[in-house]
Amino acid sequence: MSRVKNWLLPLLATLIVVCLIAGLAGCNQAASKKVLKIGVVGPESGTAAQLGQGQHKAVQMAVDEINAKKAAGDWQLEVFFEDDEGNPTKSASATNKLIQQSNVNVIIGAINSSATLADMVVSGRAGIPQITAGSTGASITQQGDKWILRTAVNDEFQANELVKYAKDVLGLKKVATFTAADDYGQSGAKLLAAAIEKQGLQYVASPTYNNGDKDFKPQLLNVKSSGAQGIFMWGLYTEAALISKQARQLAISAQLFGASGMAAQKLIELGGDAVQGLVLTQTFLPDSGNQAVRDFVAKYKSKYQENPIPHAAQAYDTVYIIADALKRANSTAPDALRDALTKTGGLKLVTGEPKFNTQGDDIGKYLLITTIKGDTFELLKTVSGS
Amino acid sequence: MIKRVMRKKIILLAAGAAILVLPVLVSNNYYLHVINLAGIYTLITIGLNLLSGYTGQVSMGQAGFFAVGTYVAGLLAINLNIPFWAAALAALVITAACGAIIAIPAMRLSGPYLVLATVGFGEIVRLVLLNWTPVTRGAAGLTGIPLPKFFTWQCSSESQFYYLIFSVVLLGTYIAYRLAHSKVGRTFAAIREDEVAAEAMGVRVSRYKTAAFILSAVYAGMAGVLYGVFSGVASPDNFTFDDSVTFLCMSVIGGNRSIAGAIVGSFMLTGMSEALRALQAYRLIIYGGVLIFTVIYMPQGLVGLAVTVRKAIKGGKDKPASAPAEGEWKP
Amino acid sequence: MQYLLNGLPIGAIYALVALSYSLIYAASGVLNWSQGDMVMLGAYIAFSLFQFFHVGFTLALLGSMFLVGAIGVVVQFCILRPLRKREAPPINVVIATLGVAIVSRNIALAIWGPEAQIFPSPVSSVPMTVGALSVTWQDLLIVFGAFCLMGVLHYLLKKTRKGKALRAVAQDRYAAILMGVDTNKSDALAFAASAALGAAAGILIAPVFFVTFNMGAGIGLKGFVAAVIGGLGNIPAAIAGGFFLGIVESLAGGLISSGYRDAITFTLLILVLWLRPSGLFLRKARQRA
Repeated sequence: MSRVKNWLLPLLATLIVVCLIAGLAGCNQAASKKVLKIGVVGPESGTAAQLGQGQHKAVQMAVDEINAKKAAGDWQLEVFFEDDEGNPTKSASATNKLIQQSNVNVIIGAINSSATLADMVVSGRAGIPQITAGSTGASITQQGDKWILRTAVNDEFQANELVKYAKDVLGLKKVATFTAADDYGQSGAKLLAAAIEKQGLQYVASPTYNNGDKDFKPQLLNVKSSGAQGIFMWGLYTEAALISKQARQLAISAQLFGASGMAAQKLIELGGDAVQGLVLTQTFLPDSGNQAVRDFVAKYKSKYQENPIPHAAQAYDTVYIIADALKRANSTAPDALRDALTKTGGLKLVTGEPKFNTQGDDIGKYLLITTIKGDTFELLKTVSGS
Repeated sequence: MIKRVMRKKIILLAAGAAILVLPVLVSNNYYLHVINLAGIYTLITIGLNLLSGYTGQVSMGQAGFFAVGTYVAGLLAINLNIPFWAAALAALVITAACGAIIAIPAMRLSGPYLVLATVGFGEIVRLVLLNWTPVTRGAAGLTGIPLPKFFTWQCSSESQFYYLIFSVVLLGTYIAYRLAHSKVGRTFAAIREDEVAAEAMGVRVSRYKTAAFILSAVYAGMAGVLYGVFSGVASPDNFTFDDSVTFLCMSVIGGNRSIAGAIVGSFMLTGMSEALRALQAYRLIIYGGVLIFTVIYMPQGLVGLAVTVRKAIKGGKDKPASAPAEGEWKP
Repeated sequence: MQYLLNGLPIGAIYALVALSYSLIYAASGVLNWSQGDMVMLGAYIAFSLFQFFHVGFTLALLGSMFLVGAIGVVVQFCILRPLRKREAPPINVVIATLGVAIVSRNIALAIWGPEAQIFPSPVSSVPMTVGALSVTWQDLLIVFGAFCLMGVLHYLLKKTRKGKALRAVAQDRYAAILMGVDTNKSDALAFAASAALGAAAGILIAPVFFVTFNMGAGIGLKGFVAAVIGGLGNIPAAIAGGFFLGIVESLAGGLISSGYRDAITFTLLILVLWLRPSGLFLRKARQRA
């Protein structure tokens, strides 16, 4: 008796406890007012924390503004935040929690592409629209999933413009890529390769690195001996800064390029001298001249005492897109919402004039080609449309 | 005597009923999701406990076998449209093979060396998954793993997954239990107590150790198969060293010498992980603290603690010692 | 050739960490999984010393080494001693140090945040190029610093009383107890020394790698691998193992594959464990209980 009891007892106890908790928490008050609940998932801790926290702050600010000026008609917005630490399993759990516990009607998330992919399974099964304001991995909108939309800038657009810039403005002929071995980096690598071929440049090296790596010298030595005049990096800011530093330490003088994934002030802070002159694309610069941008920056700065990052700007716009769609759909039913979202048009927001194509990508974003000068980004060129 | 047997049967029935009825009681899909996840992790932990209970060794590379299970079953299903049970079977076979492969060097090792070898294995698996892009889709990982289908029954909701997962868990528990009580189980116990003596008695120790490894690998592999269809996506990020560490924590904190310990450990840690979401930053500090505390003051884990407490409550009566003595394997 | 040069600073760091592992293992039979995090703590504490007290590099180095050494003693006292008293199985000790690693990593995260921090270097990182090879003062400082520390350790072990006691304990614990050596004190000393060495390693490598809360994990694991490849428990073997690993990694990463670099390291480890578990640089195969 003792033997069996030994493992049954704990098992029973666990089950009973779980049932109790479930029962107690089972009562959920249904909202009868006109409220739209938004769930936000992002990496608010971990190595991409700055991105997740920027998203959090911007969404909060947008929700407060929209509620205050009633920009969504009679509807009020309510927002719930979950931290996914950039981990796909935790992200899926977080999404599940938001949908099941907080009964959200739409999800904004995630930032890491692998997390977004995991979340899509959850939102797809539950039939809830999901908009990612930060993931740029190509496969996200290639699944045929009708519940996912993307307001992050298109990677293909960035890759094309970067390579074009390298050829037309800088006159480079031999180039290399150095990309992260994750989904973001590798989809970028593919796009870069296509762009390089289209522009007729010589593609001489293409090493990769793992996120969290600290020593990039072996790969950099390969690149150096290949004679590349330009190195296209595609990854996040910490590694990009380290790569730049180590490249300079190896006396590599090639032009460095990057994309929106590394567009953060931290890149300049960590990279220091090594990243001066680095050319990168992003969707947003605090002083890029546009009135909408200036207003946004001023409001964000007075609220949070810091400049907003591109992910913040994209998230901010996403909330406005949701509010606009809500006004038109006038319901929180998932299908109605999703249809209204896909028909978005005529808005002039901080990061562009949103318009979704059939796959769910926003093709109305502005693209800014910038360079690092001193301790800020400087605008070189603005490109719009895809 | 009769009363005892009756009590045993009643408890078994009650537990069985509770398990069957759970999804009806728990209407909240989020909770069910967490329970399902804990169930999957329980399989891994049972495997770990078998390993530590049988050979006194520890593996910090279970994430590797977990990954193999997910990827093999997932890839077969995605690429060749192989039905769930066939893909699962294939995954188990391949996982067992991996277990055998790692067992070859592991046989000669013990203590820290073995731990390091398992860590190495886990990392190698992850890096291969990450870099062998043409086969494993590299960093992008697997997406669109099809939902399992048994004849006409399509498994898609949380409660349906619950039944699938817990059938497997019950099966795994039963197998482990029977194994422990068989001649094989007793041989394992003998090996754990004193390898040299066992060898002297004619036991082919290395064969049994290899078997234990393969067994723990298969459990983790099965968990991987379930995880793949449950979450629908998988990427190398899911199978890191940190995950292996988490599995080990579940095993140790629950009690690494009993099946109950495996169940308790995985449910507790999975539940705690979700419940402590708010205290995100401090969650891992708490984990680490609990781990240290458990290992020093409760080396038998929570289950061992419960048993000791029960013994203390029953007082100085003439009950035979039912708590596992230090170093004893008790299912 | 450049690969070899690159492997040296990393190798020096691995050597220091491997040394620490071997020191503790030899002196007290413990595998200290938190060694890597001592590296991280050392870097962070020195960073804070810079930031708030504006001390110079050497002072920050010494101060940090001292503080982290103290942490090492605390760990030994609060965690390893009770375990030893209860005669816990060795695997539980490993798990306990794993817990220490998790806790220290996350406390660092809570205190200093998730962002990488820059660590100012006392020397420049502008490369000096000779033909096709370049090296920076930074690299030289790392290697030089590592050798200095090893030299100091060597002196302490061979010439001082406490050091000799440590060596006695490492050779034969029970005999040492019989001879009147206080093993608690020697264990504490071993921990303090290893922690301090780890801290120094962290400070040396920080300008190159930035300071992040998880920098210890990778370095700790690789350092351990280096110690085992060299021959666990033997200090010169650990040093050799460290440099060996650093250079092999550099060569493998550059010549074979950057993505699989770590996989190659671990495969090498498993091969060594399988075929020559006593280590590549140890002459005799010692009996490992």
